[in-house]
Amino acid sequence: MSALPTRAQEEWRWSDLSGVAGALVQAAANDGTPDAAAWRVGDGPLWVFVDGVAITRHTIGRDEERGGQPLSDGARGRGVALDLGAEHASAGLIEIVHFATGGPSHVAHCYTLAADAQASVVETYVQLGDAPAWANLAVEIDLAQGARLMRHVRRFERAGAATETTNVRVGQGASYAGLTLLGGEASARAQTHVSLNAPGAFASVDGVILADATAKHDITSVITHAAPDTASRQTWRAVARGLGVASIAAKVAIARDAQRSNAEQSLRGLLMDRTATINAKPELEIFADDVKAAHGCAVGELDANALFYLAQRGVPPVRARALMTQAFLAQALGQSGDAAVRDAFEHDAFAWLEAGK
Amino acid sequence: MMLEIEDLHAQVDGKSILNGLTLSVGAGEVHAIMGPNGAGKSTLAYVLAGRPGYDVTGGSVMLDGADLLALAPHERAAAGLFLGFQYPVEIPGVSGVAFMREALNAQRKHRGEAELGAGEYLKMARAEAERLGLSMDMMKRPVNVGFSGGEKKRHEMVQMALAKPRLAVLDETDSGLDIDALRVVADGINAMRSPARAFLMITHYQRLLDYVRPDRVHVLVAGRIERSGGPELAHELEAQGYVRAAA
Repeated sequence: MSALPTRAQEEWRWSDLSGVAGALVQAAANDGTPDAAAWRVGDGPLWVFVDGVAITRHTIGRDEERGGQPLSDGARGRGVALDLGAEHASAGLIEIVHFATGGPSHVAHCYTLAADAQASVVETYVQLGDAPAWANLAVEIDLAQGARLMRHVRRFERAGAATETTNVRVGQGASYAGLTLLGGEASARAQTHVSLNAPGAFASVDGVILADATAKHDITSVITHAAPDTASRQTWRAVARGLGVASIAAKVAIARDAQRSNAEQSLRGLLMDRTATINAKPELEIFADDVKAAHGCAVGELDANALFYLAQRGVPPVRARALMTQAFLAQALGQSGDAAVRDAFEHDAFAWLEAGK
Repeated sequence: MMLEIEDLHAQVDGKSILNGLTLSVGAGEVHAIMGPNGAGKSTLAYVLAGRPGYDVTGGSVMLDGADLLALAPHERAAAGLFLGFQYPVEIPGVSGVAFMREALNAQRKHRGEAELGAGEYLKMARAEAERLGLSMDMMKRPVNVGFSGGEKKRHEMVQMALAKPRLAVLDETDSGLDIDALRVVADGINAMRSPARAFLMITHYQRLLDYVRPDRVHVLVAGRIERSGGPELAHELEAQGYVRAAA
C-alpha cells in the first residue's frame, strides 16, 4: 500500500485516517450471511457485499475487478459494474448494501450510462460488530448524452475509517444528482470530482454530515464546468455535537470557455454543543466572464428567537430543537428526486438526532 | 382575579426594566398597557411568557392562582398564556399548520386532555385562517416566511384563535397594520372576548382601542404603572402625551 495522505496536505487537512491503521492489522470477522432487509429502500435489484466480496448479485450488472484503488495502489477491489442503456430505465431502484466486519476492504463500482439511460442507485455502507474496518470505495461514473443518474450514498460505519473517491464525467444534456449522508461513528472521508464536459450538463453534489462523539467526517466536492451552458449545485448541511468534527470543502471551477455557466453553492453548519467543530471552505475559481455563481456559507447555532417562539406556542424544548434541526437537514435531503430514498435518509438522519438527546 | 402581578422587578442584561409593577386583570376583562418607548411594555410581555434573558429579580405573577414564574415557557402556554409577538419570528422549513398542531397537542397532553385528530384540527385551522383572511396555502408554508408585516400579525391572531388561551398578551399587535388589516385583527380579538378570557393589550397608540374597547387603561412609565383609568384615559394620553398625562 502506498502511504496514506496526511493532514499536511491541504486537501486532507480535515481528514482523520487514524482509524485505518487499526483496520490494517484486523482480520475480518465475516462468519455469516448478514441480512440487508433493514437497509432496503425499494424492491429492485440488490447487491450485498461483505468486506468487499459480493454475496448477493443481480444480472443487470456484473461484478468487476478493478485495480489501482485510490489510497491503496497495490489493492484490487471488486464492485458493481453497471452498463445501462435507455432500455434499462424500468430496472427500478438499484440497491447496494456493503457490510464491513473488520479489516480493510476495497470496493470499486463503475456506472456507465449510455445515451438517454436513466438509473437511480442507493448505496449503503454499514458495519457488523465493532472490530476496526476500513472500507475503501472507488466509483467511476460516465454519463453519455441525455443520461440521468441519481446516486444516494449513506455511511454508518462504527469503528475504523471509511474513504470514498468518486469521479463523474457528465456529457451533453446529461445529469448527475448525488446525495450523501455521513452519520457513522467511524470517521469518514468522501471526495467527489465532477466534470461537466458538454453543454447542457448538470450536476448536483448535495449531502448531510452528522458528526457525534469523536467522529471526524469530511467531504470534498469539486465541480468543474469544462463546457459552456452547464449548471451545478452543491447543498451541504452539517450538524456536529460532542467532540464531533464535520468539514466541508466545496469548490466550483469554471473554465475559460465555459461561458453561461450557472453554479449554486450553499454550505451551512449547525453546532449542537460548544465542544463540536464545523469547518466549511467554499471555493470559487472562475476563468469565464459570463457566469452566475451564487454561494452562501454559515456556521451557527439554532435561532434562539425561533426556539422561544415555538416554546411560547406550547412546543416542549426538545421537540422545538428537533423540529428546527430536521428542517435544517431537510434543506439538503429534500434535494433528492426520489421520494422513497429521501424518506429513508430522513428517517436515518432524524434517528441520529433522536439518539443525541 | 385571573392574573395577579405583584411588585414585579425584572432585568435585561443586568439593567432594571420593571421596577415594582403591580397589576390585576379579572376574567373577561380587556386591559390596555400604554406608555412611552422604553417604559418596559415589551419586557412585561416577555417576562410573562418566560423569554430567556429576561430575569425576574423580585415580585410574583399568579395566573389562575398558579405561580406563572415557576413554569417553563411551554408550560405557561399550556397553562393558558398566549403571547402575540410584536415581531413574529420566521422559521424556515417548519410548516405553520404542522407546528401549530404539534403545539396544541403538546398543550393538551400537558393538561391531560385528548389530542386533536388531524381532520378535526385542519377543519378548525381552515375556518380560523379564512376568518382572518389567510389562505390554507399560507398556513402550510414555513412559519411566517415570506409573509408581509400584516400577514404575520394576522397569523398571530389565527394562532391565538386556535390556542383559545385564558390570557392573551398582545404586544403591539396593531403596529405595521393598515386600516383594513387593523379592522380584521380587531374583529378577531373582539370575537374572542369572553367571560372566561382576559386580554392584556400593549400598544403605543389609542388607535387599536377605538376598535377593541378596553375595560381598563394603564400607563406604564419607567417599569411601573403610574396611572390607571377607564377607556377615556387613552384619549387623554393621545391628546396630552405620556409625560403630562402621567404627571
